[in-house]
Amino acid sequence: MKQLFCLLLLGAVGFTCPLHAQTPSDAILMNVKQACILLDYNYARFDHYWEGEVKRDNQTIAMVKRNTVMPMVAVGIFDNLNIYAGVPYITTESTTPNGGKFAGASGFQDLTGAVKYRWLNKQSEKGQLTGLATVGFSTPISTYLPDYMPYSIGLGATELAYRAIVEYKYKSGWYLRGAGAYLWRGYAEAEREYYYNNGSYYTSLMDVPNAITAESVVGKWLFANSLQIEASYFSSKSMSGDDIRAYSAPQPTNRVNIDRIGVFAHYFSPKLTGLGVVAYYNRVVNGRNAAEMNTTGVGLTYFFNYRK
Amino acid sequence: MQRTKLVFGFSLMTLLFLLSCEKDLPTYYDFQGYEFASVDPEGGTWKPILIDNGAAIRIPAPETTTSAPYLREVAEVKAEMARMSDTDVKAVTYWTQNPIIRWNEIALELIAKYNLIPGPNADGTYTLPNPANPNGPPVFPFSHPPYAVRALAYLSVAQYDGLISAWHHKFANYRPAPFIQDKSIQPLYADNVIPSYPSDGAVVATVSRRMLTQMFPLEADYLEEREAEHLRCLLLSGANVQSDVDAGRLIGDAISSIALARAANDGMKNAQAPKAVSDSLAAAALNRFGWQWINQEVPQRPVGLTPLFGRVKMWSVDKVEDTRPIPPPAIGSPAYEADIAVLRDYAENMTQDKRRIANFWQDGLGTYTPPGHWNEFTKEFIVKYRLNPLRSARTFAYLNMAMMDGGISCWDAKYYYHYPRPIQTDQTLTTIAGTPNFPSYTSGHSVFSAAGAEVLAYIFPEEANLVRGWAEEAAISRVYGGIHWTFDATVGTNQGIEVARYTINTARNDGAD
Repeated sequence: MKQLFCLLLLGAVGFTCPLHAQTPSDAILMNVKQACILLDYNYARFDHYWEGEVKRDNQTIAMVKRNTVMPMVAVGIFDNLNIYAGVPYITTESTTPNGGKFAGASGFQDLTGAVKYRWLNKQSEKGQLTGLATVGFSTPISTYLPDYMPYSIGLGATELAYRAIVEYKYKSGWYLRGAGAYLWRGYAEAEREYYYNNGSYYTSLMDVPNAITAESVVGKWLFANSLQIEASYFSSKSMSGDDIRAYSAPQPTNRVNIDRIGVFAHYFSPKLTGLGVVAYYNRVVNGRNAAEMNTTGVGLTYFFNYRK
Repeated sequence: MQRTKLVFGFSLMTLLFLLSCEKDLPTYYDFQGYEFASVDPEGGTWKPILIDNGAAIRIPAPETTTSAPYLREVAEVKAEMARMSDTDVKAVTYWTQNPIIRWNEIALELIAKYNLIPGPNADGTYTLPNPANPNGPPVFPFSHPPYAVRALAYLSVAQYDGLISAWHHKFANYRPAPFIQDKSIQPLYADNVIPSYPSDGAVVATVSRRMLTQMFPLEADYLEEREAEHLRCLLLSGANVQSDVDAGRLIGDAISSIALARAANDGMKNAQAPKAVSDSLAAAALNRFGWQWINQEVPQRPVGLTPLFGRVKMWSVDKVEDTRPIPPPAIGSPAYEADIAVLRDYAENMTQDKRRIANFWQDGLGTYTPPGHWNEFTKEFIVKYRLNPLRSARTFAYLNMAMMDGGISCWDAKYYYHYPRPIQTDQTLTTIAGTPNFPSYTSGHSVFSAAGAEVLAYIFPEEANLVRGWAEEAAISRVYGGIHWTFDATVGTNQGIEVARYTINTARNDGAD
């Protein structure tokens, strides 16, 4: 029972907050024959952002709100190998009054698929050391416009995520986890044939910078493994890109860096077999060309054996 | 286990493949140098815009092709060409024999770079860019559409007049290019048989550097570098010797001074009127029509964009009032209510196609503006029809003169009628484009685009239907964007066509047809 986990795709990067930014990053796998369904909802908002490295507000957009609903499924193929798929539906809008009167956006964002493989699983007297690696792929599945920030629902680019995760779990229930990822991103397509990115670009294709991310987590299992709580620090850095220009809208070419802290809890119902509840909160505490996003989410998980 | 290894092996290969994919996107128009469709030996007799005729600017007579100084210059060119590096070859290929294209691109890039509206200060006030303190903040200029179209017009007009003068002297002196004098020189450009004294490339380089330096003072060093690179390429291409270049620069300097003198006194420096003047224009409209445009931003901007741009001196129209359109529908009238319904329908039923059109033509803040977009189309037609530099300059000159006159006429209407934007009169409307800081009627996009399209239809008659279709799409794009009334677009289109008639009338009589 304790092995039953869904992986949450709870990323939040820059303005568009692609949910695939932080792909499967917990340390435990489902056993073969097990599957999990997650239905996640989160609400995020910001009223300040970093224009380059300068934090500011902007009454043209006032406060930008984002609501996300995401169904996700995870399946244990082997004991050491799980696969994942999920797709969020997102709506964005500004609070009123605002000076810009821009319409928000809504739609399905990117379909994410991921494979997670456990390459290390070492039991000792004090605890358990686990090493995992994931490869994720995501791509837009609707015609949303990435070049409509800060209302764009995604970056509009195909992404390949390569992630390594190491966790040490003590017998006491405490655990420490570290994860690092490299995110390769392709082009976003705008609906204009010219844009400025430290110079003229005569194309509708925008190069979305690749990024590296790092995460460290401390957590504990409580109440006979029915409650998991954790605190995390997450950091993401673009490897290229331009700054948002003065009093201008962001664009997918921007160099986006964020530092984010968060808390997370997952409760497994002892009575209703297989049912769990997740709740989380995170906020961006520092950034560059990024929104100071506050995200609150809840979700339901359901675990079951998909074959005997 | 075997299978998972395979998965990871495959992923690793994919990663390496993707890392090796260079993300190479076009930053300039990649075209090959070409043979000109015409040489226009009579080009020196065409009527310029700013000077009386091509002979009005004088340059020294050239040394003969058998003289010692000239032969020394040819030898220097040969020596330089023999030492050319790969970077040099790249630069020569980049500039091509029609460098008007490149300088136009440089102008568009600077427009996009400086097309940033100043944001509010911490206390809610706004500071305007100040040419006396270009570093700001905010930096000078804010190259909004009126600023941009005027910069492009002066650049193109000075290039055109400079080249008419160059053509006059080229065919009066008839000194062939070094690669024709000395068969051992392999020219890097197509073998166009235009006399080389004075160098037309040098005229274009110097004019462009001087005009753009005036318009974008913080770019002086950058522009000087570009000019130096361009001038060097004229020699490295085998098309010019140093005295060709020097004579071209003389013409460039002379015509630039004349153009800048006109620019200094065309009324642009008063266009961004003080608040008292701006308020009086609004009050006059309220008194006359019963409405006035009010900026909806937070914090509110106290003055709209260039309220007196409508008073700037036009190129081909004597009195701006002659091109002023009829009044827009009164607020609350049936025509007005019908248009509210249209806008609400667009906002509530946005389609993929309307969104694409709104975005394709938006050319908003941070871009090269709508006049810049029409310059980009023009550049491609020039290459397609293989125009020589003189005809290229003529095309850009009339294009940008018509668009600037169109802009002036549009701004006259904007601040005379002072008509509200849709989001001002109906608070429930939303937009997918930024609402600009000036009155609604008529639409700048519509006037700029129609005026530009008419000139292109005149110069490239085969493209007439195409470009007129574009102009109509650009006009309606603003209605799809939610920031203009339908009548802003339709009346604006007619206004642009009307203004361009004056420009085309001038063009038809300059001797080039």
